[in-house]
Amino acid sequence: MEVADVVERISGKMEAKGIAVDRSRIESKIRRLVEEFGVQLAEAERTVMNELAREHSLPSPGTRAQEREIQGLAVGEWVTVQGKVVALTSPRTPAIAQAGILADPSGAIRFTVWAKAKAQPLSVGKWYRIESAVVDEFRSAEQLKIHSGTTISEVENETSLIPKMIPVRDLRPGVGSVRVKVVQEWESSHERMLQAGLLGDETGTIKFTIWREEGKEKLIPGAVYAIYYALVDEFNGRLQLNLSTAVYLPEEGEIRVAEGEAARGVIVHLAPGSGLIKRCPVEGCNRVLSRQNYCPVHEIQKDFRYDLRIKGVLDDGIRTRNILVQRDIVETLSGMKLEEAVALGESSPLGMDEVFYRIRDAVLGRYFQVRGSEFDGRILVKECQKIAFDPGDLAALLNRAGGEAQ
Amino acid sequence: MNGRRAAGPRPGQTFDREPARRVFAGELREVKLQFREGEDEKSPSFVLLPTGARCNRIFIVGTLTEKERRGDQNVFYHARIADPTGTFFLMAGSYQPEAMQQIARIEPPAFVAVIGKPNLFESQTGSMLVSVRAESVTTVDRETRDLWVLDTARATIERLEEIGKTDDSKRAEEHYHPDPAVYRRMVYDALAQLKI
Repeated sequence: MEVADVVERISGKMEAKGIAVDRSRIESKIRRLVEEFGVQLAEAERTVMNELAREHSLPSPGTRAQEREIQGLAVGEWVTVQGKVVALTSPRTPAIAQAGILADPSGAIRFTVWAKAKAQPLSVGKWYRIESAVVDEFRSAEQLKIHSGTTISEVENETSLIPKMIPVRDLRPGVGSVRVKVVQEWESSHERMLQAGLLGDETGTIKFTIWREEGKEKLIPGAVYAIYYALVDEFNGRLQLNLSTAVYLPEEGEIRVAEGEAARGVIVHLAPGSGLIKRCPVEGCNRVLSRQNYCPVHEIQKDFRYDLRIKGVLDDGIRTRNILVQRDIVETLSGMKLEEAVALGESSPLGMDEVFYRIRDAVLGRYFQVRGSEFDGRILVKECQKIAFDPGDLAALLNRAGGEAQ
Repeated sequence: MNGRRAAGPRPGQTFDREPARRVFAGELREVKLQFREGEDEKSPSFVLLPTGARCNRIFIVGTLTEKERRGDQNVFYHARIADPTGTFFLMAGSYQPEAMQQIARIEPPAFVAVIGKPNLFESQTGSMLVSVRAESVTTVDRETRDLWVLDTARATIERLEEIGKTDDSKRAEEHYHPDPAVYRRMVYDALAQLKI
């Protein structure tokens, strides 16, 4: 380490905080301590840094800044972390010297080293202490920004990292490790793309892509994998996994993949068109007929088929989702078979409205958990369960409510 | 009902239905601010909760304890719904025919689930009161009531934890100066009434 490096680093740190410094003054202070008083360079750096911090009434940087766990870093913080570089990615602009993923036992975060930082190149598999980096956000993912005021030092660390597996439903933009099954393989839409498709676990599914790169292999459809340190990106409001940085290993066992979207909430509305309906009998049509048995395409149809369905709104208090529930589930929820509904509709003075009211009274204002695929802004419900009261929830909420007040 | 009324948005028009917020009677009673988003006559109206969420619509489950039919030409119902923290005042008039007919058929006391819109009005004595204009009222079982207490407790705690972090909650803080400890206590007492 040279005096000039130290001067540059101190100046960088101060300038990053918006304070102009006089490099020659810092150099003379350092030289005085080192050459006249025989102080070690690292100690001289600390002394001068503290002195400057006091001069400008900044919080004292201390000898060694408090190291933080990667898990729990928040956007806007200045932090010091120690972690292992588990992957490098190709920088998206020449202004960035290096980009990749830094991991510690608590989690992993993306990092970018700005070219201006003139930092030493980082290598995959090595541990570093990164002092005074800034956490910021790029495309909703947190990342560690390494700038000219950041100090990087390689450290010896033998800790073996065991990445925490995250349920697909709980993935957030950033970095994620998952245990998943390859549900579908899609045709590549791009010549640089090696493979794309759908991965899933018990909690949900997510799109994945692997880009053509040296040593990258395709996933085998139907197989189960442990995927470590994949990039989780948000694209058009949906998450996807980019396996360019990831290590993936085949795993034993089987996963029962949850199909489609899951949602919980209360059915707060039954739209017109719910209940007993008539469908057009023309092969391949199946459209819903009006009360006058009119099909928008095939006109009057007297030999219609009856069907049951719910077009409704599921509301969790924050967000509303449109749901479409098919006959078999409507039968279970309402306790009324199609034949009974038809008999009721044909005999009641209210006609088909009576069936609508029966179904409404059975489901409206009740809590349900539904699962199904989303199509055109509507969940086509394949599974629907009434939510049951769980005493564990009550105990947890009592703690949460009483935790601070009592 | 079926197909007789034009249903909400035309095809191709995107329309986000306002979610039904979960709120205890003890909090709704404190509401003193109602506002309209936008100039349009059709733009939705909201009340601002002391814990900082705007609501155009609410979902409540409680015990219908009383109902009263009023008016000759324009019949409407008044009803009281009790939850563990207080009472909601329910209204259903000729513009809410579905809710009115539902209330007419329910014999109190009964557990009911209500979807409705909160409204702030000034009483004859000059104080501000909140009533709920019901869109729908269905009878439910005790388990649904218990689930609602959990759901509403969770939603209230989450709003308390967000105080000062969203524009609406900053506005509520300025307007109501809510004491989080009071609302925590209310939530705790509501939960404590459920049997494990």
